Amino acid sequence: MRNRRTLPPESEEPALTPLGTTPTPPVRTRTGDIIHTAPEFAIGEADVRSAELHQTTLKGTSLWRDAWRRLLKNRLAVFGLIVVCLILVASLAGPYVISHTTGYSYDFIPKDSKLVKSFAPFIAPDGSFSWTHPMGTDNAGRDILARVLIGGRISLMVGIISTFVSLLIGISYGATSGYLGGRADNLMMRIVDVLYSLPYMMIIIVLLAMFGGRSPLGQLVLLFIALGAVSWLTMARIVRGQVMSLKNQEFVLAARATGVSTSRIIFRHLVPNTLGPVIVYATLTIPSVMLQEAFLSFLGLGVQAPLASWGSLAADGIQNIAIFPWQLIFPGVTMALTLFSLNFLGDGLRDALDPQMRKV
Amino acid sequence: MDLHASRWVQIACVLLTLALVAASCTTRANDSQFFGLVKPPAENVLRYISGDEPESLDPQVSSGQPEARIYMAIFAGLVEYGPKTDAPIPELAEHWEVNNDNTEFTFHLRPNLHWSNGDPLTAQDFVYSFRRALSPALASRSAYLAYYIKYAEGYNSGAMFVRDPQSGAFVLARDVELEAQTKAAETQSPSAPVDQKQLAEHPELAKGETTELDTPFHHFMHEPDRLVVSGDEAERAKAAATNPKLKAALAGKELVPVKAEDIGVEAPDEQTVRISLAQPAPFFVGLLAHQLFRPVPRQAIERFGAAWTQPQNMICSGAFKLEQWKPYNVIVVGRNPQYWDASNVNLDKIYFYPTNEATTMMNMYKAGEVDATYNHTVPPAWLDRIRPLKDYMNAPEMATEYYQINITKPPMNDVRVRKAFNMAIDKQALSDFRKVTKPLYAFMPEGIFPGYAKVPGDGFDPAKARKLLAEAGYRDASGNYDPTKFPINQVELSYNPSESNRAVAEFVQAQWKQNLKLTVPLKAIEWKTFLDTRSRLEYKGFSRAGWIGDYADPFTFLALFYTPKGDNGTGWWDPKYVKMLDDANHQLDPQKRYALLAQAESYMLDAQPVIPLLTNATNLMKKPYVKGMYPNPQTLHAWKFVYIERDPAKWDYGVPDMSAE
Amino acid sequence: MLRFIMRRILVTIPMVLIVVTLTWGLIRLAPGNFYSGEKKLPPAVEKNLREKYGLNQPWYVQYYRLMRNVVQLDFGTSLKYEGQSVNSILVRTVPVSAILGLLAYLLALTVGLIAGVLAALKQNSKIDYASMALAMLGISLPSFVLGPLLVLIFSLTLYWLPPARWNGFPSWNLLLPVLTLSAIYMAYIARLTRSGMLEVLRSDYIRTARAKGLKELDVILRHALRGGLLPVVSFTGPALALLVTGTVVVERIFALPGLGNYFINANLNRDEPLIIGIVAFTSIVILLFNLLVDIAYAYIDPRIRY
Repeated sequence: MRNRRTLPPESEEPALTPLGTTPTPPVRTRTGDIIHTAPEFAIGEADVRSAELHQTTLKGTSLWRDAWRRLLKNRLAVFGLIVVCLILVASLAGPYVISHTTGYSYDFIPKDSKLVKSFAPFIAPDGSFSWTHPMGTDNAGRDILARVLIGGRISLMVGIISTFVSLLIGISYGATSGYLGGRADNLMMRIVDVLYSLPYMMIIIVLLAMFGGRSPLGQLVLLFIALGAVSWLTMARIVRGQVMSLKNQEFVLAARATGVSTSRIIFRHLVPNTLGPVIVYATLTIPSVMLQEAFLSFLGLGVQAPLASWGSLAADGIQNIAIFPWQLIFPGVTMALTLFSLNFLGDGLRDALDPQMRKV
Repeated sequence: MDLHASRWVQIACVLLTLALVAASCTTRANDSQFFGLVKPPAENVLRYISGDEPESLDPQVSSGQPEARIYMAIFAGLVEYGPKTDAPIPELAEHWEVNNDNTEFTFHLRPNLHWSNGDPLTAQDFVYSFRRALSPALASRSAYLAYYIKYAEGYNSGAMFVRDPQSGAFVLARDVELEAQTKAAETQSPSAPVDQKQLAEHPELAKGETTELDTPFHHFMHEPDRLVVSGDEAERAKAAATNPKLKAALAGKELVPVKAEDIGVEAPDEQTVRISLAQPAPFFVGLLAHQLFRPVPRQAIERFGAAWTQPQNMICSGAFKLEQWKPYNVIVVGRNPQYWDASNVNLDKIYFYPTNEATTMMNMYKAGEVDATYNHTVPPAWLDRIRPLKDYMNAPEMATEYYQINITKPPMNDVRVRKAFNMAIDKQALSDFRKVTKPLYAFMPEGIFPGYAKVPGDGFDPAKARKLLAEAGYRDASGNYDPTKFPINQVELSYNPSESNRAVAEFVQAQWKQNLKLTVPLKAIEWKTFLDTRSRLEYKGFSRAGWIGDYADPFTFLALFYTPKGDNGTGWWDPKYVKMLDDANHQLDPQKRYALLAQAESYMLDAQPVIPLLTNATNLMKKPYVKGMYPNPQTLHAWKFVYIERDPAKWDYGVPDMSAE
Repeated sequence: MLRFIMRRILVTIPMVLIVVTLTWGLIRLAPGNFYSGEKKLPPAVEKNLREKYGLNQPWYVQYYRLMRNVVQLDFGTSLKYEGQSVNSILVRTVPVSAILGLLAYLLALTVGLIAGVLAALKQNSKIDYASMALAMLGISLPSFVLGPLLVLIFSLTLYWLPPARWNGFPSWNLLLPVLTLSAIYMAYIARLTRSGMLEVLRSDYIRTARAKGLKELDVILRHALRGGLLPVVSFTGPALALLVTGTVVVERIFALPGLGNYFINANLNRDEPLIIGIVAFTSIVILLFNLLVDIAYAYIDPRIRY
């Protein structure tokens, strides 16, 4: 087992290195399963084993339950959770409710030419107050509320699924690369570099030409592939960086010395310790994926008109910002509210999952 | 944790909303009769948004309108687009004659024409330029516009004449014509006034006033048409297989490539350009304003190759010469003192800004950084606000928007179904929605070609549409129209993504939903992929199309279906239609010709391979102090007439008078 | 370390060739041609064009020609913009994108780091919430919304700044595009810095450093910031590479002659030489920046070795 005294040559100048200034052994014993019961550092297999054993015997303090309990204590996170749930429910049920109360669906263009224009919120065509369009109408006289709600379905689905895909691939790829190091790391990262360099648009054009246009469902799957395909790359690099910095720490060395398998070290010991930046980056991925979807519709990959997404609604709205500001404000604010909530939730989740927080 | 954070969030949201509302209110409160700042530029210059970045500054290479706008400043042609109607007006040619069957055009150049470097510009420059435009090595994309010129297509496609090695005589086209074809050809041109044989013997018959300029080449042009066969052996064999006469004619003969010198352009003297056509084309003078036919500087091209278009190498012939070219940024042209009419050129410089982002250019216009924009630049949603303003220019445009129908696939192979879908669209409502356009029921844009009788086309009639669909077999037991019987999964409406295409498609979809109870799925396809599926007829149902005329004549629209079989993206092709057009072009009286063309249009619409939607309108902005610029049908401005008026009393308040040229 | 750098620089060459090969294959698979347009060209014109650009030759001849040119760093002439060499387009557009991208990233880095560090130091304070709320605003305001908004306010309402166009460097024309471009990166950096710093600030070596009586500023700048920067550094490689190689949205909104706009158009126009040239350039930049990032890792965190 190596300890901190056999550090690489570059790090021998103490003042420059975080570790060099540390007189005591590092105590990053934050692997999810040993935290609660183990003392500050895990030394041997036996300890780990006993820790796991110990933990399972402790009633109701599994990692997730524990995290959930802490999450509920975080008022902002709870606020975020509630808002996200509300928006989710609204976008699932809302369109039905609206079409049954006002008769407007997201694609309904009035037959009367006089109604085919953009009315301000709560304004009836004759200028009086009306509840029919609380968010106004768009250029074709369609109800913006109905469009925002239907757009929510698409955007939330796109944002969450694509981010999940990017998390899944990015974490496993980045952690493996960072942990293995050397040649394997070099190869894996060069593959990422190649993927970065390829013309993304061309890939989508080709994907669409080969698999597009079969069915709406296929189109959706293609969309997730296209969005997931790029967003995991930066994630992988971030995870790799974290893992490279963690992998020579004592708790990993300990685990390795006690014969824990490589995959177990990566996924049980290293990955949980990278969750901070990962969750932050994931919450940043959601908006970028949502907006990218609007761009892809330019290539014919996004949702097909007259269906809308928040991204496409905002892109349309900005064209008319000077004249019909409500076309941008309502989709924009809904999206911003969702993203804020998701971020509070993400921050809360991170804090809840971060074992160090428990000591604070 | 506390609630401060959510308060911050609230504040941020409120601030954002306020900023948006404040910004929009302040801009709205700023109401004047013009859009944004109205301040003439300090210098005597025009700053113009010219559309997409030009693909090239070689007029024979790039064929688009954005480039045409720049070429009109730096290259002069035989004729120029008139400022108000786009009809040809004399430019480098002072006057011209046409022979009596519209196959020969003789142009007389103005005396003392010069290139911008001082070299004389002569008829030889035109001959050089026409030959270059058609040369296979240049591979000009618009070369087909010159195919009306005799042997031009042969030269451009690398085709061959057929010659008898013993006698040296060329095989003639009529020698290999099959009986039926000969007959068709005869009936096809009953109005051809001059017999080919007669012409061969007495060339002066066709020459009008230019008998004194007799040349051997001219005689060659009036010999009977030589046979032109493909340069590709396999294709020749294929043609020969179906035509025994051709097979016989080819046996034992030698093939001679059609050369640049064979095409029907000659310079009998320094100041005369004579053009001979392969077929009558009454609209040919109008076509000559196109950039393909503008003379290019031989000296610069031979010296610099492709780099001749760089400002330091460029030699110009127009009212302006190229000074600066910064791609995607600006093109600057300045006064050309060598131009024949330099004293009547008003502006010192023109700045062309290449951008196609509507919002960006409207911003620049509003901020007073540009003086005018190209066509279709005002987003429809802005029109409620902009239409009353006095610097908004709207006039009919030589451009149409329509949906093509793939008539090769069921259920669209049934003309009743095609007609039903056409009748189920309320085009008046569509045009109200698009605000700047006029409804289009026939194929010809309205109000562009004076004297052309409007073909009515089918109007909006949802009841009849449903009846037609019922007749086509989509009915229930009692014979009424039943939408559930219609194979809606076999139909789509595909379009290339753009905000306006999508808006129209959504509207049309809603119309069909309301009137036929059918929800046709929309499908946006990236442009080049879209073109591919359209030209291969792989799309199902409908695909978006639009056409801007190449020249000011109805034929530019009707010729879209003149193409070889099905090559027009619909699969519809009818030899009778082609013959009707040929007959019309052989007609010498313009009124009668228009009537024949209208008949052909009506015949085509009976088959309904397209759903006409809208006649476009110019829809652009022009500051009131920019004078001499008119929203003409192609938005192509003859720049020498444009000037900056500093006296507000003489400004344009509204669309300037466009009645007389 | 030197050997490591040399190796990585050498590996760039085969990497670029691989990227170019894959791209070339993709272009071949994509439907449509550089010359297709609203009206279908007559077959003769099409044939002339294909011959002119050597597209009639067998694929291996074309591939060989491509590879030979790429190795010589000569990408030929654009198909869409006839007569302009790809290299001349790169020489013209890269500075525009690079100036824009570097300025925006510099701004983002400065503001983002300060905001992130302050937020982490005063976790759950007003400063923390304020800067994170602003960061979220930056993230949820996409540049296609932020750009026009800024123009609306500063150019069209106040008439302070020009609404668009490139006017050289330095110039006021740059201010709005740089602001627009940096907003989202600012937000990313602030959030990543905050989370990285929080992690490090709780670690024992910082506690030790403080215990040793080092000045707080010293602790933060010399010890904490380094560890906290790790995620930001990981993010910087790709982000900077993408910024420098052009950002379509901002270039379009502000009508700037940068690389991004050319690249998108090249893809849409199937302009093979231009696509390949830009892709090759991009891949070199990405490899280079990621190399810099890897070097920076070793500097920031000596536990990382290669």
